[in-house]
Amino acid sequence: MRRSIARFLGGLRSYCTDSGDGSQSSKLKIFDRHFKRKQRDRAAWLMKPKDSLVDTVAENLLDRLEDCKRTFPTALCMGGSLEAIRRLLRGRGGIEKLLMMDTSWDMVKLCKDAEQQMPTYNIETSYIIGDEEYLPVKENSVDLVISCLGLHWTNDLPGAMIQSRLALKPDGLFLAAILGGETLRELRIACTIAQMEREGGISPRLSPLAQVRDAGNLLTRAGFTLPGVDVDEYTIRYNSALDLIEHLRAMGETSALLQRSKVLKKDTALATAAIYESMFAAEDGTIPATFQIIYMTGWREHQSQQKPKKRGSATVSFHDLQKQFGSDGSC
Amino acid sequence: MVKFGRILLKDGINNKLLEILVCPLSKQPLRLCEKTNSLISDAIGVSYPIVDGIPRLVPTDGKIIETDDASHSDGPVDLPGK
Repeated sequence: MRRSIARFLGGLRSYCTDSGDGSQSSKLKIFDRHFKRKQRDRAAWLMKPKDSLVDTVAENLLDRLEDCKRTFPTALCMGGSLEAIRRLLRGRGGIEKLLMMDTSWDMVKLCKDAEQQMPTYNIETSYIIGDEEYLPVKENSVDLVISCLGLHWTNDLPGAMIQSRLALKPDGLFLAAILGGETLRELRIACTIAQMEREGGISPRLSPLAQVRDAGNLLTRAGFTLPGVDVDEYTIRYNSALDLIEHLRAMGETSALLQRSKVLKKDTALATAAIYESMFAAEDGTIPATFQIIYMTGWREHQSQQKPKKRGSATVSFHDLQKQFGSDGSC
Repeated sequence: MVKFGRILLKDGINNKLLEILVCPLSKQPLRLCEKTNSLISDAIGVSYPIVDGIPRLVPTDGKIIETDDASHSDGPVDLPGK
């Protein structure tokens, strides 16, 4: 009996150290951040000045600022489509100081050059190279953190979000858009079939993405209050599967898995394109690609925010609600 | 080179920005070293370069300071590749 208790305690202890450490799972490396950085460098050169998908997402994200009554004098914009955010901001959110951050030097440089061509008045913009996983921003220093299509490439998404929360001042807003799990489902299917057909097995070609239900959990886990998650799906039509890959490259969204297979046989690639076209092509020969965008909103805790009342603090029973409100309400 | 760097430094990094930035690893404040045009984290002895007025604060871009330069604020710093 005693032995079994001891064993139980031993088991408990080891369990505790695992959970106490907390970083056991987050140390898992899925993405090659260094490779992603290079891809983003390349994307900075390939990028078209205006990308309809990126612009739509950035516009949608910035639109949320108009719903807020307060202004955000200091803002941090990190990762993803920096340039689109800066271009489309148009004075929303009352931002006075904007800090732009990306891991890619060429991307930041592109933004800086774009600013010289189209200066944003009244906004003091500064640029830094930084990693979302190691946020170089002081605690309690910014009012708004925007991340447009960047956070889905972090190995430690909860950690990155916790760091963003710490960087925010109380009652600061966190706004993020990430790609969701339904993104490029057609390509996933085509890739799998082509690989099975030509290589007799499958290997991960596309990166794993967060599901919608995870997004809410992530916000709560990171400690944001008033979390909000919503999803949008965009279908873009391309002339061929190769055009889709070109677009992904220009966005810097090509796979950066650490355990990716480094060779892609021409045969398999062409088979993927052919399968994609035969399975999903529309009447006019164009092929659709789905992009699922998850928008996340969260606030840093502040006294002024509404909170649920304590459990058991209700004074009226649910049974009596009808009597309380039913008398004047006709519906 | 240093002169050029300083000119960019003036409009590139201002004190307000420096107040917001911290070392990405230790989350401790950074010190601007004009001589080497870098931001130095005294807590862990790492310097992050500033290129074209843009500080590079990715941990892999940082360089570990070998000697005890970190303790001198603006002392004679001997730097490789000046």
